[in-house]
Amino acid sequence: METNPTHSRLTAIALTFMAIIWVSPFSWLFLNAFNTASTGQLEIPRSVGLDNFAMAISGNAGRQFLNSMLIAAGTATLSVVVGIAAAYPLSRLRIPGRNAFLWTLVLLRMLPSAGVLVPLYFAAQRGGLLNQLGVIIALTILNLPFTLLLLKNFFDTVPIELEEAAYVEGATLFQIVTRIVLPMSRAGIAVVWFFSFTGAWNEFLLPLIFARVQDAFPMSVGLYAAFGQQGAINYGFLTAYSIIYAAPAVGVYFLLRRNMNTGFAGVGVKG
Amino acid sequence: MKNQSNPWLTSNLLVLGLGMLPAALLIGVLLYFTAWAFAFSFTDLALVGRKSVEWSWVGLQNFERLFTRKGFLDALWTTVVFVFFSAIVGQSVLGFLLAATLRGTQSTIRSVVEVCIMLGWLLPDIVAAFLWSATTSQTGLINALIVVPLGFPPISFINDYALPVVIVANVWKGTAWSYLLFSAALDSVSREVVEAAKVDGATPLQRIWLVMLPIIRPHIATNMLFITIWTFTYFPLIFAMTGGGPGRQTETLAVFLYNQSFARGNLGFGSAISVAMLAIVGVLSIFYLRLLREPK
Repeated sequence: METNPTHSRLTAIALTFMAIIWVSPFSWLFLNAFNTASTGQLEIPRSVGLDNFAMAISGNAGRQFLNSMLIAAGTATLSVVVGIAAAYPLSRLRIPGRNAFLWTLVLLRMLPSAGVLVPLYFAAQRGGLLNQLGVIIALTILNLPFTLLLLKNFFDTVPIELEEAAYVEGATLFQIVTRIVLPMSRAGIAVVWFFSFTGAWNEFLLPLIFARVQDAFPMSVGLYAAFGQQGAINYGFLTAYSIIYAAPAVGVYFLLRRNMNTGFAGVGVKG
Repeated sequence: MKNQSNPWLTSNLLVLGLGMLPAALLIGVLLYFTAWAFAFSFTDLALVGRKSVEWSWVGLQNFERLFTRKGFLDALWTTVVFVFFSAIVGQSVLGFLLAATLRGTQSTIRSVVEVCIMLGWLLPDIVAAFLWSATTSQTGLINALIVVPLGFPPISFINDYALPVVIVANVWKGTAWSYLLFSAALDSVSREVVEAAKVDGATPLQRIWLVMLPIIRPHIATNMLFITIWTFTYFPLIFAMTGGGPGRQTETLAVFLYNQSFARGNLGFGSAISVAMLAIVGVLSIFYLRLLREPK
């Protein structure tokens, strides 16, 4: 492809400019987080230190980090395990109307979760599940339609001839699934796990309603409660807390980045 | 091809069935609760007080209130504005332009821009809300870097221009999804077709408009379907930034639903709002799915 050098340089400048605008809010975040005498203004810190971060991982804040970790990892793992167990049969057995059924479920999940939240809340209250476990189960229920659809689509791409060959060689169903199907759809499973993890990590409304005491808050609710308070806002603490809260979701993405791109192509084509 | 006669499947139907059981159970719970939410919309159930126990059926009264009382229609209009500008105009168009532009550029710029817009997408909603409240406040980034140096008095954007601010924040946060989807779609357009159009004398704009867009139309419809519905029901960003205020300027349907259900405790009326939202989402989905299926 022949390219016009002036033209492509202009494009590059425009893109760089846009990238700078895009990340500029982060400059404020970092400047305040490392400023031990932060006032919430945009300024070069006079005293740089990690005091804010120390504050953001001790006491209630540290507890909230663990709560978020537990909820996110628990939801992602439960969703993937339950999802795999059901998606493999759904992919391989010819069950009439399965695609229409899965799509209906996904559309159903598009309704604002606040709608389903009312009955969920009552049920959890009755079952004594207004706690972390309740949040994990509720989020898994809400995730499941999407998880099933994605996993089934990924399993569909595994050629059945390989399974036939393995069966002829004497492999059992368990061996076929664990040695062939799962390794071959590793990318897809990683994507689904990542989606569930970040979804649960970011989830705000459900824990807001389920978690009644500060001890049980995950970081989303903790951050909201802290910056929603009027009066003296501790910007240093909040910015450091935000960075710690944002880090795992961003980190998991970059760890799984290569898998993600493969997975995304799958979503696009099948979607 | 899949068929029922695969022996490792047919001899293990029981195991496979058992595997599907937990998922079936949870899906059953989801369907049951959804039905329950529908039923609530015909009652005067409340979160606290006498009506949380002794509720009664009120027929279509909740649905009448949607149209006769102030609130719902205003919230619907706010939602339409929010969805149109932040999802359809902002995220979708910007995402497509980025994907189309970055297709031809060097890989360093491409990865830098990708990482930048991904950061917004990966950031938890509440952090994004906090960041944008701070950025657009009276002492925030925009005032400190642009407004005050130009000699104007600082403007409290988050109070004076609340709706535009949440729209911009949502574009900032959500463009990455559209970008990734369009990027994958454009990669699937074969180079030969684009080259052929170029040889025939098509301008860059024509190449995009007449060649690429028709090929990736299914992807556009898919993208529209997802982002419209997501944005339509999107709650945390707006709620944490403005709580629907000032006044009711940024009260979208999702925020209205939360305020009615949990702040004011009208669970019956709240359920009616979510049923109405489901109906709107359903109509939109059918529209987009038709777009997706139309023969080429």
